[in-house]
Amino acid sequence: MSVGTPGVLREPFAQPPADGGERAFGRSPAQLFWRRFRRDRVAVAALAVVVALVLVALLAPLLLKLVGAPGPNARDTSALDDFGAPTGPSSAHLFGVDDFGRDVFARTVYGARVSLLVGLAGTAIAALLGTLLGLLAGWSRGWVDTLLVGLVDVMLAFPVLLLGLGIASACTLGDGCAGGLIAPGLRTVLLVVAAIGWTVIARVVRGQVLSLRERDFVDAARVGGASEWRIVSREVVPNLLPTVIVYSSLMIPQTIMFEAALSFLGVGVSPSTPSWGSMLADAAPNFDTQWWYMLFPGLALLVTVMAFNLLGDGVQDALDPIARL
Amino acid sequence: MTGYIVRRLLQAVVVLVAVCALTFVVFFLLPSGDPAVLRAGRNASPETIARIRAQLRLDDPVWVQFWAYLKGVFLHFDLGYSYYSSQSVSSLLRERLPATLSLTLGAAVLWLAIATPIGIVSALRRGSWVERLFMGGALIAISAPVYWVGLVALYLFSDDIGLIPLLPGANRYVGLTADPAGWFGALLLPWLVLAGAFAGVYARMLRTSLVETMGQDFVRTARAKGISERRVVLRHGVRVAITPIVTLLGIDIGVLLGGAVLTETVFNVPGIGTLGFDAIRYADLPVIQGTVLLAALFVVVANLVVDVAYAYLDPRVRVNG
Amino acid sequence: MPRSVARRLLAGALTLALAVTLTACGSGGDDEEGARGGPTTAARGDSGAGGRRGGVLRVISEEDVDSPLDAGHTYSSAAFNVLAATVRPLFRYAPDDPERSVPDLAAGPAEVAPDGRTVTVRIRRGVRYSPPVNREVVSRDVKYAIERGFNPSVANGYAPVYYGDVIGADRADGGPIAGITTPDDQTIVFRLSRPTGTLLAEAMVLPLSAPVPPEVARRYDARPVGGYSTYAAHQASTGPYMFAAKPDGTVQGVGIVPGRRYVLRRNPNWDPATDDRPAYLDGIEWSVGNDPNVAGRQVLDGRGMTLGDTPTAAIVKRAVQQAPDQIFFSPGAGNRYAALNTKIPPFDDPNLRKAVAAATDREQMRLVRGGRMLGDVATHFLYPGVSGFEEAGGLEGPGVDFLADPSGDPEVARRYMAAAGYPDGRYTGGETITVVGDSGDPSDKDAELVDEALRSLGFRTRLLLVDANTMFGRYCASPRARVNVCPNLGWIRDFADPQTVLDGAFNGAAINQENGSNSNWPQLDDPAINAAMARAELIVDPQERARAWGRIDRMITETGAAIPWLWDRQPVVSSEDVRCANQLWNQGHCDLAFSSLR
Repeated sequence: MSVGTPGVLREPFAQPPADGGERAFGRSPAQLFWRRFRRDRVAVAALAVVVALVLVALLAPLLLKLVGAPGPNARDTSALDDFGAPTGPSSAHLFGVDDFGRDVFARTVYGARVSLLVGLAGTAIAALLGTLLGLLAGWSRGWVDTLLVGLVDVMLAFPVLLLGLGIASACTLGDGCAGGLIAPGLRTVLLVVAAIGWTVIARVVRGQVLSLRERDFVDAARVGGASEWRIVSREVVPNLLPTVIVYSSLMIPQTIMFEAALSFLGVGVSPSTPSWGSMLADAAPNFDTQWWYMLFPGLALLVTVMAFNLLGDGVQDALDPIARL
Repeated sequence: MTGYIVRRLLQAVVVLVAVCALTFVVFFLLPSGDPAVLRAGRNASPETIARIRAQLRLDDPVWVQFWAYLKGVFLHFDLGYSYYSSQSVSSLLRERLPATLSLTLGAAVLWLAIATPIGIVSALRRGSWVERLFMGGALIAISAPVYWVGLVALYLFSDDIGLIPLLPGANRYVGLTADPAGWFGALLLPWLVLAGAFAGVYARMLRTSLVETMGQDFVRTARAKGISERRVVLRHGVRVAITPIVTLLGIDIGVLLGGAVLTETVFNVPGIGTLGFDAIRYADLPVIQGTVLLAALFVVVANLVVDVAYAYLDPRVRVNG
Repeated sequence: MPRSVARRLLAGALTLALAVTLTACGSGGDDEEGARGGPTTAARGDSGAGGRRGGVLRVISEEDVDSPLDAGHTYSSAAFNVLAATVRPLFRYAPDDPERSVPDLAAGPAEVAPDGRTVTVRIRRGVRYSPPVNREVVSRDVKYAIERGFNPSVANGYAPVYYGDVIGADRADGGPIAGITTPDDQTIVFRLSRPTGTLLAEAMVLPLSAPVPPEVARRYDARPVGGYSTYAAHQASTGPYMFAAKPDGTVQGVGIVPGRRYVLRRNPNWDPATDDRPAYLDGIEWSVGNDPNVAGRQVLDGRGMTLGDTPTAAIVKRAVQQAPDQIFFSPGAGNRYAALNTKIPPFDDPNLRKAVAAATDREQMRLVRGGRMLGDVATHFLYPGVSGFEEAGGLEGPGVDFLADPSGDPEVARRYMAAAGYPDGRYTGGETITVVGDSGDPSDKDAELVDEALRSLGFRTRLLLVDANTMFGRYCASPRARVNVCPNLGWIRDFADPQTVLDGAFNGAAINQENGSNSNWPQLDDPAINAAMARAELIVDPQERARAWGRIDRMITETGAAIPWLWDRQPVVSSEDVRCANQLWNQGHCDLAFSSLR
């Protein structure tokens, strides 16, 4: 999904991997995947960074205590001068403070929580939804399939960011949307991510299912008397996994950037929840005098997205070596 | 060929109608609270609200409302009136389009100019430090949020507040017809920032596509025939490798025309993106809705154009598509 | 008047106030401010005299000037600033003298009959409208201008208050008002049903009394679009400047582009012989929608520019430290407070209101705007420079415990929460609090601080930040919107009488259910306070008035219906080559007809 910033998902160039030289005997696909993945040093490094990020997010309070930083919402008025201007990095505040006197280091660390939550959970929901619907469409064909394809086309016609903006703002007025269920905040962001992300996965899964159902092993299973359900769950789904994994891993960084963009524009998570995007928005007016507030969240975003991008590349290459060149 | 175009056109129309329906759902059905009040905006007298109720046919069944809305949009380009400035939404969009157009097309030219040599060189010098450098740079470019890059660029190069005063800063846009030199200067930094983000994508994509193409039979044949490596790459390789680029280009331009909201806000370019963004600040529902609809329209049209162009280039598509 | 935007006021009882005498109590505010730890930058107004002719002043602001920009409708300080250059009310203030009104369109002071029931004003000759109207202004134009204020399509907010005693005004709806007569082209006579002529004379500084050509305006007033007359799009000017217009007189799209810019040019039909104002500038370009920090930097470093609204804290700091001659702190620029809706739960409970007040860090609300330079943390509603301020307790205030500590006092908050039935000090009820604030910088930060105070007490909140016009028109001034807290409200005097600060804002009789029209934002309806106001309005002796309104101020503060947090000294920033004649009677921004470029 494109947010007006680049995000491209490649179609995998080949079906589940032919080895290109590996000995296939005695190794499961998962083991093969790991072998290839391990060889790619960059990908391994990216994985390490991602794991570190997840740990930081999970153990945020502990980390803060270790470093001696105050909480993300604690206002330290002494760090603001007589004019209310915040001070930069100091011994008391590693990354400086923001306009309210809140510690930027603490907020950057806590910001990881929001980004990772939306990135991972949002993508997971979108992937699950997309897989189910794509499977349904590809397997049933007929009007179900046509309907789904049409729906996907319509959803993809919307620039994601504007749709997210539109929903968030429309649901701000009056009493919110759908009886107050949809209001700006984390839930809405997840909702929009899921609502748009499923389309890409569904399209890809559908394509794969369409070709898979013609394959010999499916006919063989049918002849052998297996029920539709068994065929689907035993034969088709496992073959979908690589594709879904690849696309999901490529979607994660885009989701993270999408949440940051929404927060930057003021319709993401609530203003008090630390989010890298809204921190950048707060930093924007004064970046020439308060560079620390702009630098650290931006770097955090950059590193996180890069790591996930590299990880996604690594996963794709490991699952699909012909494309790795 | 004509058959294909007609089919795609019909498809596009269907999608457009569906897009309208989705917009209708998001902006009319979803919000709780009285739609007439939401549209009437500030200082609305009971007479105004009553008038809007009648205009929107709010007491009619949903499908009648939708039909009226559809007719309004398609036949009259009537997107309603901004509650904030009382201007018609369509005239507001028309007014803001040139700035977005300037930003998008300029950036597109720039990112293609940057990405093409980088992609080609990377493909040719696989495994070298040049390729690593370029692809590394491309990775950073696609991972950095465009608004952050914009802020950093202003911090470094803006002529009013930057460390190294080089280029005009934010908030300096003038129309092309009014002041060509000023127009160009004001757009330089936004172009560079926006192009940087996309150049990364296109460079990577071109590289991959080119490498793949180069491994194919027809290239080997050309080499065997004794054609110079350079000609092989430029005339045979690139021409084929370009097709996925063109597809993506069309879509990206379509999306950007709907408003490069992030870039426009950072540099305060008065385009469609800032229009939509300001409308949120004013809680101006008709304008938000109009912006979203227009953006979707651009994407649908862009998709259509790309598909038709693709079909023109690749006959197989016409048959199957 | 409200700080930013126009709205309607319901007719309140009028006063016999001798406003002129009372304004004397407001003087001397300057020196007080300077001594109380204020800035060393200029606290004296500049009369603008001796400026250089020529040049175009560029005014840069974030917030839009009021819309429609119709002198008969607007009731906000930015609009008053712009219109002061283009229209000529009967009287006006000089920029450096907010106490004494001087004749503008009028030829001399208003003649108030001894019984106070008749006011006669003579207008000058030789004042002409801008092209294409061109003709000379006559008294009938002033009559029409005032009458149209009562037209629902124009909806003037103060007309019913100050002109409400004119005979026939109570039934007025845009048609002729019997009590206003024009015996000849240069004379206009007001006959009143009550002896409030002196107040009416003082109220003539407000732009409603600026002449409007009926032959032009009538057709727009009669057929409103979207509820409002569109005369503003075709308005004729009488002042030294006019809005740039097409040859047919259409201003909209050329001189008035809402949300974008306003362009003023010299009015070719303005005769300097009829006006005391120097009008040095050749033109003014007012651009809105600008990022305040970028704008502030541009103004400080550039030439020929001034900020049209409030600078951010960073800009204030920079100006004070690096360019002290380019920043002016205008004293007596009004109060700021957060209103709590007393009509709907949960803030119909005074204990909860006081808990919120005690939990709010008002010191930091001032700090994020720029700190001490910006004024004193407020402890009640009458502000320094308005009579009654000392009587209400002065700087210390009435001494209520929930406002005693400017940084907030969690202990006191907890006590009030317990008194409200929440012994743990945290709200456990089901209401979600809707907070609507101003999205502009630095007001959005103040809104966030109030939101934080609410959440610290356990309230679930929904914070909505919109532009100031929307904040008032759609939410805070519309009781039907059922907003719980509006943190970014405030009030400036119409003229230096304490009634104009407290009456419209807290009188139960002023509550108006119409959308965008309510000025009593907390919807305070305390019978004791209402009765006290009704009595105080009729007091003549200035000392007694000060005492009476000071007492009312205390009573209002004690209800906790609103949390006062700042008494403003509005910072005004200009480029170094701008000779800014600060409008002390308004919010201190440059008076366009007196300012010049060096």
